[in-house]
Amino acid sequence: MSFRKKHLLLFAATVLLSVAVISASVYSTIRRSFEQANQDRANAIAAQFRSEFKRRGSDVVRKVESVAAGETVQRIALDLNRGATDSGEYVSAAHTLAGQQQLDFLELVDSRATILSSAQWQAKFGYPEAAIPPAAIAPAGAFLKREELPDGATLGLFAVRAARVGEQPLYVIGGERLDQGFLSTLDIPTGTRVLLYQNLNAKWNPKSLLDLNGPAAGADKIAPLVAQVRDTLQEPQGVIHWTSDPADAEVFHAIPLTGPSLSAANQSSASQTSANQNGANQQLMGVLLVGSSRRPLIELERQVVSTAMLVGGAGILVAVLASLWFAARVTRPVVSLAAAARRVAAGDLGTKVEVESSDELGELAASFNRMTEDLVQQKDRTLQVERVAAWRELARRLAHELKNPLFPLQVTVENLMRAKQKSPEMFEEVFHEGTATLLAEINNLKTIIGRFSEFSRMPQPQRRPTQVNDVVHSVLRVFHAQLHNNELENNDKDKIAVRTELADALPEISADPDLLHRALQNLVLNAIDAMPQGGELTIRTAILRDRIEISVSDTGSGLTQEECGRLFTPYYTTKQHGTGLGLAIVQSVVSDHGGKIAVESTKEKGTTFRIELSREPQPWQTGQN
Amino acid sequence: MTLTSMIAFTNATGETRPHYGGTLRVMMQSAPNALDLPSNATPADYWDAAGILSLIGDTLVKLDAQSRPQPALAVAWQGDPSARHWQLTLRRGVKFSDGTAASPAAIVQILGAVHPKWNVRASSDSVSIDSETPMPSLLAELALPRNLVLKRNGNGNDNRVPIGTGPFLVAEWQPGKRLKLAANEESWAGRPFVDGVEIEFGKSLHDQALALELDKADVIEVAPQATNGSQRHGTSASLSLPVELLALVFSPNSKAQDPRLREALALAIERKPIQSVLLKGAGEPAASILPNWMTGYSAVFSAQANPQRARTVLAGSRQPALNLSFDPRDPQAQLIAERIALDARQVGITVQVSLSGAEDLRLVRAMLPSPDPATALVEAARQLGLQEPVFPAAPRGNSLDDLYQAERSLLDGYAVIPLFHLAVASAASARVRGWEPDRLREWSGAGLSLADLWLADSRLADRRTEDSRPADSRPYDPHSYDARPEAGAR
Repeated sequence: MSFRKKHLLLFAATVLLSVAVISASVYSTIRRSFEQANQDRANAIAAQFRSEFKRRGSDVVRKVESVAAGETVQRIALDLNRGATDSGEYVSAAHTLAGQQQLDFLELVDSRATILSSAQWQAKFGYPEAAIPPAAIAPAGAFLKREELPDGATLGLFAVRAARVGEQPLYVIGGERLDQGFLSTLDIPTGTRVLLYQNLNAKWNPKSLLDLNGPAAGADKIAPLVAQVRDTLQEPQGVIHWTSDPADAEVFHAIPLTGPSLSAANQSSASQTSANQNGANQQLMGVLLVGSSRRPLIELERQVVSTAMLVGGAGILVAVLASLWFAARVTRPVVSLAAAARRVAAGDLGTKVEVESSDELGELAASFNRMTEDLVQQKDRTLQVERVAAWRELARRLAHELKNPLFPLQVTVENLMRAKQKSPEMFEEVFHEGTATLLAEINNLKTIIGRFSEFSRMPQPQRRPTQVNDVVHSVLRVFHAQLHNNELENNDKDKIAVRTELADALPEISADPDLLHRALQNLVLNAIDAMPQGGELTIRTAILRDRIEISVSDTGSGLTQEECGRLFTPYYTTKQHGTGLGLAIVQSVVSDHGGKIAVESTKEKGTTFRIELSREPQPWQTGQN
Repeated sequence: MTLTSMIAFTNATGETRPHYGGTLRVMMQSAPNALDLPSNATPADYWDAAGILSLIGDTLVKLDAQSRPQPALAVAWQGDPSARHWQLTLRRGVKFSDGTAASPAAIVQILGAVHPKWNVRASSDSVSIDSETPMPSLLAELALPRNLVLKRNGNGNDNRVPIGTGPFLVAEWQPGKRLKLAANEESWAGRPFVDGVEIEFGKSLHDQALALELDKADVIEVAPQATNGSQRHGTSASLSLPVELLALVFSPNSKAQDPRLREALALAIERKPIQSVLLKGAGEPAASILPNWMTGYSAVFSAQANPQRARTVLAGSRQPALNLSFDPRDPQAQLIAERIALDARQVGITVQVSLSGAEDLRLVRAMLPSPDPATALVEAARQLGLQEPVFPAAPRGNSLDDLYQAERSLLDGYAVIPLFHLAVASAASARVRGWEPDRLREWSGAGLSLADLWLADSRLADRRTEDSRPADSRPYDPHSYDARPEAGAR
């Protein structure tokens, strides 16, 4: 991954992480605030309900007291105490009184708990009123009670008072409905709604869940929350998801509404008094559910998320642009430096980078330039040293090569001078011997000089399709006699085995077979010279992807690393006798063919020379390895 | 409420000799749009219409409280043993109030229109009626208000004014509001004492009571229970014999097809509280269709509630909820229905009182328009939607046992659950005077009840006091029965 991409990713990740952290913290804060606000609102409505409930209860008590103290009830009570048996004339009294006091429920019950008159169910006269405790143990205030009606049961807020005119009291039981009408009296803020579940049956009844308009829709979703209240009589909260959209959910706060357990009213009044007054023996009459819509919170959450994504996206875009700008200003010098480094590595030591700033990158560029200058200088010095070393080597070799034939020349001339001076009678003979030696040595000098001259004038390859395997065979034929005679003379003791591993169907390459013959000949010669005690000479050819390989291996004494490094230097040789030009010639031929040559050697194991030549015609290049 | 059953008790301190003159002011709850017997009417509307028409027209015969036929337009009658052929001799010289003769032909035409299945023929002075089926109760049938001899004027609209032979004729008719009757000077029964009758319709019982108190009405309707209390000075109230049946009737498609359910419901109903409280003591608890004064055997049918037995009958069975409907025109019906539903609930039967939806049973009032028990039973069965009671071929209704069996067959299976026999009541102002009947009142007297009334008002101009009415048109006095011509004899 490039420096620019890394930088871009780092910058983008930083922006993204920052936005995410900030958004998360904002979201968390907002959510907590909302939850608190919802809770406060629910508590406020619950408090309002309790206040309204209490007020309505007081109102019911006041109305019932008014009825009980009224003339009608007093008269009825008086009639009952006088033994009046015809209660038929009272059958509609409760209905009339209820209408006057705007009560939904009103019953006149005698001391035997027999209904004399019922406003809510006029036909109930003469029936016992079982669901009401005698006034002696009835709650002083208003209380919730289930009331049976012709069309079903309902929930009401009741009060009981007695009209005591004589020994037999007449009980007045009045109340108001606790239904959607009651809910409509509550001041409910926007986004909130109130439901009332009338717990009239042992089992859950969805039609008993009321809102302002009557039975509420989706009651079954609220059933678990109501069940929780029924089981624990606590005030749980729950989230109701009406649809798959989270914004349609509501948080409901459930408030249990209890009333006296009237089934215990048949027991001893003394034991029940304290229980009822202390709130014990209460049973669940209803559940008030205060619901707050989660839509504002969800929408705000969505807004925060969308804003965060927008900011994040913008941040990433800014990061990309900033990164591009930064790269243009920061990474460009780095990239330039990297490119320059690659050029230097490729050999262009004269590479320079432009110093555009005075910061660290500028210093780096300047240092790079200094470094390349040093490299160039060092290379020049090295070249010069090598040239000097090569000239010195050449001079030494020349001196060495020339010294050998020059000494006999000098001795011969001195012998001739001495013979002339001291033995003129032998001068003739000495002259003939001397001149023969002089001519031989002069020829030797001419050969040496000719070889040097020949190396300096290596011809350009004359390329034509060449079968390398044929060249190998021709080289081996040249050395066949030498290898055979050597074998005979040394009785296999110093035998050099020749092995060839030539690739089948080796493709022809474009090469100069003569030069190639010459190079292989030099390599074979060196290999033979490296195995004076015998060994194995192996010549291989192989097909590579786009090249062919020719390798010549010997099992001689091997070369050191230093020797390997200097092998191809002209006039360098490890032989006592030699011009040191053989491998130089090989290298020159290989280079002229656009190939490569390498040497691998292990001391005491042997040496292998590998030549790689392109299968495609290559322009003339200088080979390096 | 029937005007014809209204009897005014004479004020002992007032004048006892009749006076002619004055206008009798009557008020009614009903508001008829036609002077005709309404179909599908409440009993109150029926009695009102019958009473009005009885002032205008006459039947061939009338019945007393003992169900004995008395002459009216017919003075004699004879039927063959098979009761398929009857011949009635008509009173001579009777005219309609428009002056036309109430000839046999005219009477035949009127009766033939009412009874297409009869073969009604006229002769010189009689009418013969033939039927393929025996008609042992023909005379009781002829006494019913639907057989009043009335003709209509020929303008063909619903406001046709009936023209009859009765003591009054229609002077002014405002449908649903007011009816003015004028005395028929040429009435065969003699001119009535009052010059006319003014009837105001659509007045509630409360308004009627106020009008009576304020001396703006002379004769009003009252609730039966109102006759139990004391009356204001000078006013008088009267209560008829039980002439209505309040019952529960199961509809043909009722969900209550299980006879156990019906029996349990019948056993669950506590009639006493309903009578004492809702009916204010009026009416008699009933378990039979016909009241005891008609048959004498109604005690055989027990009206006692037995919730325990009802639960036993229903034990283990699962019964559907029933829908109980009632006549919304009946002011007491809803409460009574709710009470019945409450009683049913106590034994485990769910009954919902409602006017909507398919009804399973209905609280109805049926009229018993004839003192003849067989005729009353047939009429009651028709109103209750029951099958026609089956009597022996001939003579129908003669045997009390036959009557009992016929009624028993209607009650077995609990197609109907009788609840109460109810009376109708009315009240009169202090200035109203009339004859003095005994406890067994004149039954459906055709106009004779109002025709026999007079007003004790000294301002009346006409001081005629002689009763110029024919002897046999005067109100029936059971104590003087032996002095009357034998009914049916020629």
